Amino acid sequence: MNAWHGLLATAFILALAPAGLPPYAMTLLTEALILGLFAMSLDLMVGYTRLLSFGHAAAYGLGAYTAGNLLLHTDIPMVFAVLLAGLFSGIVAIGVAWVCTLASGVSFSMLTLAFAQLLYAVAFKWTSVTGASDGLAGIPRSPGPFGITVFAGKTGFYYLVLACLFGAFVFCRSLVRSPFGAVLQGIRENEAKTRSLGYDTRRYKIAVVAISFALGGLAGALYAPFAGFTNTELLFWLLSGQVLIMVIVGGAGTLIGPIIGAAFFMLVSNLLSSWTDSWALFFGLIFIGFVLFAPQGIWGLATRWLGRTGAPAPKGKRWRSLNWTG
Amino acid sequence: MDFLGFLITQCLNALSQAALLFFLGVGLTLIFGIMRIVNFAHGAFFMLGAYVGYTAVYLTGSFWMALVAAPLLVGAFGAAFELGILRQLYRRDHSAFLMVTFGLTLIMGEGIRLLWGVAALEVPAPKLLSGIVFILDEPFPVYRLFLAGAGIVVALAIWQFLERTRLGLLIRATSQNAEMVHALGTDVRLVRSAVFGIGCGLAGIGGVLAAPLVTASLGMAPNAVIDTFVIVIIGGMGSFAGSLIGALLVAFVQVFGTYYFPDLALALMYLVMLTVLVVRPGGLLGKEA
Amino acid sequence: MAFLELDGLTRRFGGIVAVDDVTMRVEAGEVRAVIGPNGAGKSTLFHLITGVVKPSAGTVRFDGEAMTGLPPQRICQRGISRTFQLTALFPEMTARENARLAAQARHRRRWQPYGGGSVFGQAERLGDAALERLGLTHVAQRPAGLLSHGDQRLLEVAMALAQQPRLLLLDEPTQGLSVEETEQAVATLAGLLADGSMTVLLVEHDMEVVFRLARMITVLHRGAVIADGPPDVVKADAEVQKAYLGGLA
Repeated sequence: MNAWHGLLATAFILALAPAGLPPYAMTLLTEALILGLFAMSLDLMVGYTRLLSFGHAAAYGLGAYTAGNLLLHTDIPMVFAVLLAGLFSGIVAIGVAWVCTLASGVSFSMLTLAFAQLLYAVAFKWTSVTGASDGLAGIPRSPGPFGITVFAGKTGFYYLVLACLFGAFVFCRSLVRSPFGAVLQGIRENEAKTRSLGYDTRRYKIAVVAISFALGGLAGALYAPFAGFTNTELLFWLLSGQVLIMVIVGGAGTLIGPIIGAAFFMLVSNLLSSWTDSWALFFGLIFIGFVLFAPQGIWGLATRWLGRTGAPAPKGKRWRSLNWTG
Repeated sequence: MDFLGFLITQCLNALSQAALLFFLGVGLTLIFGIMRIVNFAHGAFFMLGAYVGYTAVYLTGSFWMALVAAPLLVGAFGAAFELGILRQLYRRDHSAFLMVTFGLTLIMGEGIRLLWGVAALEVPAPKLLSGIVFILDEPFPVYRLFLAGAGIVVALAIWQFLERTRLGLLIRATSQNAEMVHALGTDVRLVRSAVFGIGCGLAGIGGVLAAPLVTASLGMAPNAVIDTFVIVIIGGMGSFAGSLIGALLVAFVQVFGTYYFPDLALALMYLVMLTVLVVRPGGLLGKEA
Repeated sequence: MAFLELDGLTRRFGGIVAVDDVTMRVEAGEVRAVIGPNGAGKSTLFHLITGVVKPSAGTVRFDGEAMTGLPPQRICQRGISRTFQLTALFPEMTARENARLAAQARHRRRWQPYGGGSVFGQAERLGDAALERLGLTHVAQRPAGLLSHGDQRLLEVAMALAQQPRLLLLDEPTQGLSVEETEQAVATLAGLLADGSMTVLLVEHDMEVVFRLARMITVLHRGAVIADGPPDVVKADAEVQKAYLGGLA
């Protein structure tokens, strides 16, 4: 069994899920996949380039509000609206990244946070576009193109999300294994050296932030018609923190890990919420525990365990989780 | 209307605001200076200071008791966290610290919510300071005058501490040259805990002092941490004078920006930061990044 | 016109003049060492040539083109590769991947965001050839961070070579090596430079190493050039004796 077989098998099982799961579970699963896409997009920055972003909610919120406005005020089919929103988020990110990459290391992280909070503040003031604290409500799942209405239904929408996640995963996997991806990993391990080899590292960083924002925006854009509403929570720093937790807990620098992290996050917060509303407390503890004792995350632990028990571990070093002790 | 009076009161307003920001910024920059780490939970320690202050006032009836108790308790908590958790991370890179202190922010926010509830809590200013004075016929709250004064006193105290004590010398030396950390020898573990505790204690003072103005609320932490980051980015990571200049600059931009361009006030602060970053990527008084 | 021309190159840090009005020529095919006591400005001179530090005054011309003030990555793209005094590698990548990434930097499609078979293939050939020339083939699959210190120094040279530079700058290639490691590294480097096909500028502390590798020597003292010529001429120079070799020779 190689990586592709595992991938196709997983996709197959996920594709069969609507047949076996009750509606409530399907809703959870759909949201988990959306968050998985969101977390995977952040992994390109955090796991592969070591650009620690504390403002990734900006991507999600941008996508969600853009898609929300497109669906509320135009007749563009949902499928296109969602893609356009992701594209828009990526374009905005070029400007953001241009500013944020003026700094590096810790200052970069702070700037991403500051930018996201600025956007959050703007969302509160710009009532005509964002609906301020009320948010946007009644976002439709517009039909089309060619009169296709299948994505409007619960199951159809699930397949749309699954297709987006699968497509984004294949895209990211190809990206991180490409020459471009090799340079990103060079930046991750030693940016000064990468620069001295003749790479204009800032351009690579801006590009990866833009791609990351486009995919994160796509996730947000899917969330808007999924939930039917948007609110300023989607831009709030807590969401930026949650998605970072998903990436680290799942396993940074593996693409699959963050998706697992998102699913884990959904699962645990649903279990916890039935007997406490202080899930943030537990997530804080789980997060610190992982950073301290298992920086390779769930997927890193799993692949190591698989390797030890003789099952074929995923091939190549690119699957090895990021070692934060660099 | 008397423009001079307006100008003076606005400047005093900005000074009092700068004092609060300085308590935050200087703590973060001290910690960074000697430990090379960024404490994301700095805003949470600020918030904790406000809540501890509330309880101290509630129990003792004295704001002054709160002003003593809060920094001690918050500082002790910070030092304990350094001893228990952060200590294990010094061989790791800076992102591990950011993430762990971020986790701490979540935990503290939730812990405070469980202990004190979600409602914002009023902390009354002491009787002595709750009045209003007239400056060239413009009314001005005494409490803000007190804040500005407290800021100046603490800034002088920290400056003297850095200039005259052995610990201060170490802090200055290490913020100049990270390699110096190795030269600290056996002291280094103790110094780190102490500095982390002091930094958090300063944030705690800021929290108590801010409480009568803004009430103790759960929104304090993220707002404070972002303002703090902006200050240190503008002033330069690890620079004491930089945190002072950053605090003044941000406070004046906030106060006058809110007056003249109410819709753009927030964006103005970021605009200042952006300009500084473009001109000097390491901050005004920082080394080139 | 010489291959590399430095004219009146000066760099001040505050009140200190680190590099003082240095004029120097390096001919194509030459192996030239820049020597001098600690703080003579050797490393700063390298930083000025490679664009890491901007000059306060003076010009750098390389192969007839002005290079002054260009950012490091542009200068590198023009064909100047360097190693660092303190080893700079990608510790989690294998030695082979290190060399490949170095070679990739010179590929026209180095940024290609998909596939990569042909880019990687070409870069790998150059990288592997460089590893072989430095005798590192047997450790090619090991993570660079786990190599011996001597091999790490040589890997840096291999990475620079994999870029097929027109000018190679080596900043103290034997820095921090034991006596045996130095011996081995120098033997390898001497073999590499023997055929005279490469133009090399070398900063080195160890006189033994300098006299074995370099055919021309420039002596820096307090940022300024005090002697310039073949090894025996420089050795005999009175001013050099006084400034530098005095205690040793």
